[in-house]
Amino acid sequence: MANRRQFLVGGGAAFASLGLVAPAIAQGAKPRVVVIGGGAGGATAARYIAKDSEGKIAVTLVEENANYQTCFHSNLFLGGFRDYASIQHSYGNLPKQGVNVMRARATVIDRDKKEVVLSNGQRLPYDRCVVSPGIDLRYDSVPGWSKAAEDAMPHAWKPGAQTRLLRRRLDAVPNGGNIIMIAPPNPFRCPPGPYERVSMMAHALKRTGRTRSKIFVIDPKESFSKQGLFQEGWEKHYAGLVEWLGPKIHDGIKSVDPKTNTVVTGFETYRNAALVNVIPAQWAGAIARDSKLANDAGYCPIKPESMQSTMDPNIYVLGDSAIAGDMPKSAFSANSQAKVAANAIRGELTGSRVFPARYTNTCWSLIETDDTVKVGGTFEPKDGKIASVTPFISKTGEPADLRKQTQAENMGWYAGIIADMFG
Amino acid sequence: MQRLSFGFALASLVSATLLAFSAAVAGVSGDRELGQYLSSECVTCHLLSGKVVGGVPAIVGVDAASFVAVMNSYKKKERDNQVMQVIAAKFNDEEIAALAVYFESVKPKR
Repeated sequence: MANRRQFLVGGGAAFASLGLVAPAIAQGAKPRVVVIGGGAGGATAARYIAKDSEGKIAVTLVEENANYQTCFHSNLFLGGFRDYASIQHSYGNLPKQGVNVMRARATVIDRDKKEVVLSNGQRLPYDRCVVSPGIDLRYDSVPGWSKAAEDAMPHAWKPGAQTRLLRRRLDAVPNGGNIIMIAPPNPFRCPPGPYERVSMMAHALKRTGRTRSKIFVIDPKESFSKQGLFQEGWEKHYAGLVEWLGPKIHDGIKSVDPKTNTVVTGFETYRNAALVNVIPAQWAGAIARDSKLANDAGYCPIKPESMQSTMDPNIYVLGDSAIAGDMPKSAFSANSQAKVAANAIRGELTGSRVFPARYTNTCWSLIETDDTVKVGGTFEPKDGKIASVTPFISKTGEPADLRKQTQAENMGWYAGIIADMFG
Repeated sequence: MQRLSFGFALASLVSATLLAFSAAVAGVSGDRELGQYLSSECVTCHLLSGKVVGGVPAIVGVDAASFVAVMNSYKKKERDNQVMQVIAAKFNDEEIAALAVYFESVKPKR
């Protein structure tokens, strides 16, 4: 039971803003938070809850990978602007900051018992659970493509071996060989990501003199993030190397054949491509769907004031798995949402002050050396969703020094968010 | 020259003191805590260690008056970084003061 002081200092605000009943934390026992997924959402939430509660909350982070490899800036690895080691990070600093890091795979949440079930059968009881598993790929969304075909036609939309495979395959494209990217339908992780990737592939081709090659982007969408900026950059730096085709031009993606590297659209058949990069449709990570936290579209509805699941008040969903209104599925968004959730959870469990939710996002995209653009804005809860307040975007025709400065900012942000996630 | 810079330093000192005083009066004891919560937005890019990487400047250990002046100049769009303009725009005076007091109190790591 919350004591009188906690109620007066913070509990009242927490209950008022979140509409909750008094927290039922057993006296004497430390409240427990289990965080599923050690990415930009989960690692940040775990670190902030542990750090700010100063030992009053027991925080366990469940993550199946030994290291974290960032999806953000993996395009820069592809283009040769970063080496692989620089986008890999250890969880080693988190235990020093009060986070118990458990290397395991969480398979399902037993919401009735308030326990996270691990693949080895172990159960982790929780008072609050943070679910931040990222996206899963929908292997059935492109006819002819499948999990078995992901080596022949890599996606590289989940980081790790696929990222390195795509780089090797890109490096092996002969001069005159074509690259076909099948872009994903909305909503998906990192809206400008496919187009930054196209830019980085074009950069690699140009740099190595493979100018008889061409990148075809088969896109199921009529338009895409920062379209004017990317198309201006492709025209400026990579004339003749990139061709983007919207659905009215290609008339639908009919099928792919991983054995012959063929892509069939309503309008054209592309045979013997040197590289086919399939970025399929996506939905929330399996644990979120299997734990019945997602809606029919496969993503998780949340309360915009706190990122609390609308399906279960003891669960918070962050990042790519959540339906975050106007916020894109980005690492920056997940990190921003994590701090709102951490503040709310701490308030519920310890009676600390709960401040109004405020969200921020910026996505930088590198088009060519020292030519970077950005899109972003601030967001707040409004009419039941997270709504955009003040959006901004780089302008076409910006001077080179501004674009160079934007790239310096991009590199600074990367260092910043990594420090913010892992300490 | 010397007098001028001294005058400036004195002015900053006075305004910093006034600021700390007004923050202490207006925001009660919670202001630094508010500043710490709000600072979580800043540290996605600005390193809390005070180290500078790429084009993102250090903001820890900055005196509160300078911090307020810089944030207000972004708010008025006198400084032209889009990210900082939209971030500054949504903070009110009390919040900027809270942030200033918080960041002033954080010592850069050598």
